[in-house]
Amino acid sequence: MVASRFLPFLLIGPSILLGASTADALRMEYNRDVRPILSNACFKCHGPDAAGNPSGLRLDVPEFARAPHRSKTGRITTALVPGKPDASEVWRRLIAKDETTVMPPPNALHQLSDRDRTVIRRWIEQGAHYQPHWAYAAPIKQAIPDSRGGSSPSHPIDFFIRAELKAKDIEAAPPADRRSLIRRLSLDLTGLPPTPVETATFLADQRPAAYPDLVDRYLASPHYGERMAVPWLDLVRFADSTGLHGDQLYNNFPYRDYVIAAFNRNKPFDQFTIEQIAGDLVPNASTDQHVASGFNRLNMVTREGGAQVGEYLAKYASDRVRTVSTVWLGSTLACAECHDHKYDPFTIRDFYAFAAYFADVKQWGVYRHFVYTPEPELTVHTDDYPFPPEIEISSDFLKNRDARLRATFARSLATGGRALLADPDGAAAVQTWARLVAPWIHTPSSDPWIPIPVDQATSTNGVITIPRPDGSVLFENPPSYLDDKYKKPPTRHQLSFATPEIPLATVRIEFLPDIAHGGFVTRDRRDLFDIDIALAVQRAGEAKPQALALAEALAECETENYFNGRRVMSLRDGWRSSVRLAREPQAAVFQLPIPVTLAPGDRLVATITSKPVNFHQRAALGEIGRIRVSVSPLSGSLPGEPADSVRFPAGALTPADAGFEQTAVAYFRANAAFSDSERVQVFRDILDCREGRTSTMVTVAQEPRVTRVLPRGNWQNESGDVVDPSPPKFLGGIPTAESQGRGTRLDLARWIVSPTNPLTARTFVNRLWKQFFGTGLSSAVEDLGLQGEYPSHPELLDWLAVEFMESGWNVKSLVRLIVTSQTYQQSARERPELRPLDPQNRLLARQNARRLDAEFIRDHALFTSGLLRPELGGPSAFPYQPEGYYAQLNFPIREYVADHDDRQYRRGLYTHRQRTFLHPMLANFDAPSREECTPARNVSNTPQQALTLLNDPSFVEAARALAEQLQAYPQTERLNQAFERVLTRPPSDAERASLEKFHAAQLAAFRERPDDARKFTAIGLLPVKAEHDAVELAAWTAVTRALFNLNETITRY
Amino acid sequence: MIDPLHHVRQRQVAWSRRTFLGQSAQAIGALALGSLLNPRLLASAGPSTDGKWRGVLRSPHFLPRAKRIIQLSMAGGPSHLETFDPKPRLNALHGQPFPESFTKGQQLAQLQHERDGLRARGSPFAFTRCGLSGQMICDLLPHTQTIADDICIVRSMHTEQINHDPAHAFMNAGSITKGRPSFGSWTLYGLGAEADNLPGYIVLMSNGPGNDQPISARQWSAGFLPSQFQGVQFQSKGTPVHYLGNPDGICQSMQRQLIDELAVLNGLSAEKTLDSEVQTRIAQYELAFKMQSSVPELADLSKEPQSTLDLYGIKNPGDGSFASNCLLARRLVERGVRFVQLYHRGWDHHSNIDANLPAACKLVDQASAALVKDLKRRGLLDDTLVIWGGEFGRTPMGQGSGRDHHINAFSIWMAGGGIRPGITWGSTDELGYRYLDDGQQMHVHDLHATLLAAFGIDHERLTYRYQGRDFRLTDVHGKIARGILR
Repeated sequence: MVASRFLPFLLIGPSILLGASTADALRMEYNRDVRPILSNACFKCHGPDAAGNPSGLRLDVPEFARAPHRSKTGRITTALVPGKPDASEVWRRLIAKDETTVMPPPNALHQLSDRDRTVIRRWIEQGAHYQPHWAYAAPIKQAIPDSRGGSSPSHPIDFFIRAELKAKDIEAAPPADRRSLIRRLSLDLTGLPPTPVETATFLADQRPAAYPDLVDRYLASPHYGERMAVPWLDLVRFADSTGLHGDQLYNNFPYRDYVIAAFNRNKPFDQFTIEQIAGDLVPNASTDQHVASGFNRLNMVTREGGAQVGEYLAKYASDRVRTVSTVWLGSTLACAECHDHKYDPFTIRDFYAFAAYFADVKQWGVYRHFVYTPEPELTVHTDDYPFPPEIEISSDFLKNRDARLRATFARSLATGGRALLADPDGAAAVQTWARLVAPWIHTPSSDPWIPIPVDQATSTNGVITIPRPDGSVLFENPPSYLDDKYKKPPTRHQLSFATPEIPLATVRIEFLPDIAHGGFVTRDRRDLFDIDIALAVQRAGEAKPQALALAEALAECETENYFNGRRVMSLRDGWRSSVRLAREPQAAVFQLPIPVTLAPGDRLVATITSKPVNFHQRAALGEIGRIRVSVSPLSGSLPGEPADSVRFPAGALTPADAGFEQTAVAYFRANAAFSDSERVQVFRDILDCREGRTSTMVTVAQEPRVTRVLPRGNWQNESGDVVDPSPPKFLGGIPTAESQGRGTRLDLARWIVSPTNPLTARTFVNRLWKQFFGTGLSSAVEDLGLQGEYPSHPELLDWLAVEFMESGWNVKSLVRLIVTSQTYQQSARERPELRPLDPQNRLLARQNARRLDAEFIRDHALFTSGLLRPELGGPSAFPYQPEGYYAQLNFPIREYVADHDDRQYRRGLYTHRQRTFLHPMLANFDAPSREECTPARNVSNTPQQALTLLNDPSFVEAARALAEQLQAYPQTERLNQAFERVLTRPPSDAERASLEKFHAAQLAAFRERPDDARKFTAIGLLPVKAEHDAVELAAWTAVTRALFNLNETITRY
Repeated sequence: MIDPLHHVRQRQVAWSRRTFLGQSAQAIGALALGSLLNPRLLASAGPSTDGKWRGVLRSPHFLPRAKRIIQLSMAGGPSHLETFDPKPRLNALHGQPFPESFTKGQQLAQLQHERDGLRARGSPFAFTRCGLSGQMICDLLPHTQTIADDICIVRSMHTEQINHDPAHAFMNAGSITKGRPSFGSWTLYGLGAEADNLPGYIVLMSNGPGNDQPISARQWSAGFLPSQFQGVQFQSKGTPVHYLGNPDGICQSMQRQLIDELAVLNGLSAEKTLDSEVQTRIAQYELAFKMQSSVPELADLSKEPQSTLDLYGIKNPGDGSFASNCLLARRLVERGVRFVQLYHRGWDHHSNIDANLPAACKLVDQASAALVKDLKRRGLLDDTLVIWGGEFGRTPMGQGSGRDHHINAFSIWMAGGGIRPGITWGSTDELGYRYLDDGQQMHVHDLHATLLAAFGIDHERLTYRYQGRDFRLTDVHGKIARGILR
């Protein structure tokens, strides 16, 4: 670690350092030079953790270190005698030859180098002055001299960076060329490269304001929020699934939308903080603030049978402490879960006092009711249920999608109807149909449903069926039923009906409450029933009924059916009735793909089977009580859409009539629309939009659970003290409590962003710096504590931290400050001459190249090929994924279904995140699984990355899409176009020559095998355009595929 | 008589030459070599130009015996009472109340609601004393009985996690905190890879007949270690490695043209930017291409002689069964893969254990034994460590017709790679409830320490600096069971 730091003597080199004459001139600074050595090698046993310090000697606190200390053998010594190393026990121990005396002990992991020892000796000689840990002292904003006319730069960042460079006699790198600059800025601020037009405009704009204007334009781009959201979502461990055991899905994408919008609207960071930690506690909290409070629900949870409630609540609590202390404080408070911190002054009590703030968050240790771990509120929950508490909100993305899909659906129906009119046979068919069905549907009430009384009814398990005058059937249990109900097989009811002789397009089944059942829809006064429904036709004279296929089936009223946490609108896989409507009529509608007409003597047969009752749910699950069946010649309507009969004009029977076209559309809709699978898919997609409504997990406060100190982190140990919420004592103890009494999450959030907190602004600024330079000013962005790294430019970090707070926690203004510095705009070209001096470029004598994050590598290919859907927010998307990847998931068993429409081309940050099986493209490019707060991603360079860019269908398809666009240009212009889009520059002569040869070779190969060319260019959802020659297109796709695989393409220089 | 340490020194020389010096040391840089364990430097140093991942250890801490490991992970938790730990007293107590002195104050999973009515459940299956070593093995494992003299049975295993998911995490990473590296990743991080055309850590999956417990990819995660050390799961469907197959219509020779073209273009770009990462990128494309060529050959079991297929009991080579995976595992270690982990789901016998356990045994017994025999006859067993076992054991108390999860005692076996064969290590009390503190108790941390020792690694000295702390696989625990090492 020492080698990576920029201390003056390191740049001189150890041999000079050890020469006494030079070293005398060097001033040892505790924070910079000494503390890292002591912390790493000594504090583990001579630091804050009393339990790990058998000798009782502390070297981290000057009062202890300078006072006489009695050793175990009774010897009295003084660890540090200022100015007198030879009288200091520390020095004697460091140089002792005897194995029992020398420190650190010979078996210790961390030994000191000669250099370390020299530093300590000099430090003692110079008075052994301690300093408070840099990150725990209030940051100070140094004045920047006004440099107008002077030689030092006026930009504060450049002032600090250049001062260090100047001291080392190093020249800053020249500015990057303007193409590199716009590409860098665009990638850094939006996660997308510039378009060729943007680049050309910028190149032509010679005004001094051209660059600052560009900065403002990118800061105003809606894609800025998406780019900024990615690292934040890593920190808060945002994902779509629970991460434990069955890894079921969460409903929480509105939280992601909130984060994107917060960055785009430049929500002050203090507000942003408060809303996430305590949005629900803010007076008159808005919907957005409730959504933001979903932050507290992003931890992993379980619903595994046998899991211990207390154990998991303890896990969730410690996860929250780890996350909040890392995200906002840059602290490793997590280490104090089992014992006092080994290096920093956090006590185990601090850990649990911090956890106590979150003790009010309503959440279950085990998200399901089991008899051995009862959770009475969750009795009906299965593996498929979502994770309460949730609220229902409206999503702009879903509303827009819903409107677009409805328009598509309506257009397709209108086209179908009009096509009928254009054809004389079609028009005749419409007329015949309208005449046939009109008498049945134009009742005075305009009710399109024709009730059909039950003809015959049989039920298993001795259930009694009683016909009612309204055509419904009442079911009654046999007298002994309730006693042994759960030992019986599921009840099966078979009902048959005669129908009018018209083409039937839909069947409706109503489930009715009855006074005989206490007003419940179930006959056993329970909250809901869970059934399968099958329809069939029994033709007269045939032995067996013929099953009817269903195009779609849906409930007319609100029901809550789930698969893996998500609302399922279709009833094709059965119907779980609504709990909330347990005493209201509920109905389901079944749409047939092709209408069926029953002849006299034929019967419609409905078979209703109750699903087996889960042992754990027997208290809630009941059996159906009373049903009524109706049919209609018209198609089912969409939610929010008026029923067809209302729109179906009576008597519009000749093509000349004004309403005839509408009749034709109704005919088409009822008779043909649902036999087309693509149209049915659109219909289903509309249902799934739920008119824009969606659920999202939120924080709901309840009576706080008791929080105790858990000795050794053992959740079963109840001997520890009960603690009240409090921030870590050494950071200021009890905050000003809004409310008298117990501290709340709101108090915590306000303390975190209070101006007296030395950590929050530093932590955020340091991470943001890493985003733009590749390394934080303190490289350990996750730990600003004693084991972290002393910053390369501590005054700059302080200056930025204070500036950030003074600006009102203005994130955009901080970003603008960074990217308008000369330091940021330098060339990233490596400088081999500086490598020995500054191998990691911490002095920033140039910019750093940085490989793009996984999400942006995907975005880059989609954007430059024109495939990217630019819409913001919305539910997670499902890009192509290798087959069978979810084979090891269970409860429920899952299959990955890739998006079948343009959601396929959504940005990487929207990719569905299954915590236990992260999408392989994201995983291969180091995206974290978001099981744990991740302040910094790994950056690896592996063969899996090569395989992904080479062979992942998303990238192959993007290459083809780009190649298709190139076809519009003359041959000679194509390479230029491709380079401008993908690399923001024209090709060099050498590149052009090489690629032309490559193109020719690939073209020749595809000419030999045109079938392969067709296969290669057919990869992906994007339809192949007929006008392109497959061989030609394939050869150009080979070229664009090469560009997408270049190191330069996935690197920001 | 020659110097008794002669062979030790010889092996050390051979080891260091083959594993470290032979792999063009210049790329990693003198800086990293000079500092034994400086992970940040290592991470930034990246792989060597020949594409292999080098480990951080320059020389082993102890005499290394194992170079590779095949872990047969019996996911779900096999009952020790019906496999390797016979308990006549328990059988005698069958159906009787389980003595409260054993269970009082103890953590139980699903059995807790039956606390008042815990009853002993004996095993209906017989055990046989096997081989010259006379180790006791249940008759449900007839093939395993034939390798009794090759394996070391550990009966004193115990863990801290009572549910599958965390117990797997604990078995793999010695911690249930997410983001900790798995055992395989630690091994690779320490020792590097031997193969230059295959990942160093490969995971295979097979299923029992039932509705099995899920397994998360985090079990082979590199956690906070650099991502190149993570396990790569070979898929049973499609191509074995994600994105391994060329796009439709692209043959290997066209792919080769592309790789060559990329080397040219990347080289041109490097001249301009002087970006040192480019050389690594070029090397990774070469390695990827080699993987594309070698993996299909590797995964193709059809060329194996019938006698070998019969030895493992493979009916359809490459069908993703446990038997096929065992053979694949042998082929992987033959080609220098450091760590192979086979998950077999199907041991969670909460009910009907009398029927389900024999079925589960039948699915794995023959191939597990065949793997040991096959490695042995090829001379690979000496430095390949095979380990067989689950994430925990099962209660000696009945749970209906089955047994619940149990953390206080379970059995595993190990073979090869420096493990003393033909011995039984550790024991449990007379009812098989808890390991005995007889100096042979084996906590998961102890197992990790012992396995790392077999690889020549001191578990206290293989560390990684993260969040200001030096993390290790064994956290602050772990005692090497010297007695089971040769």
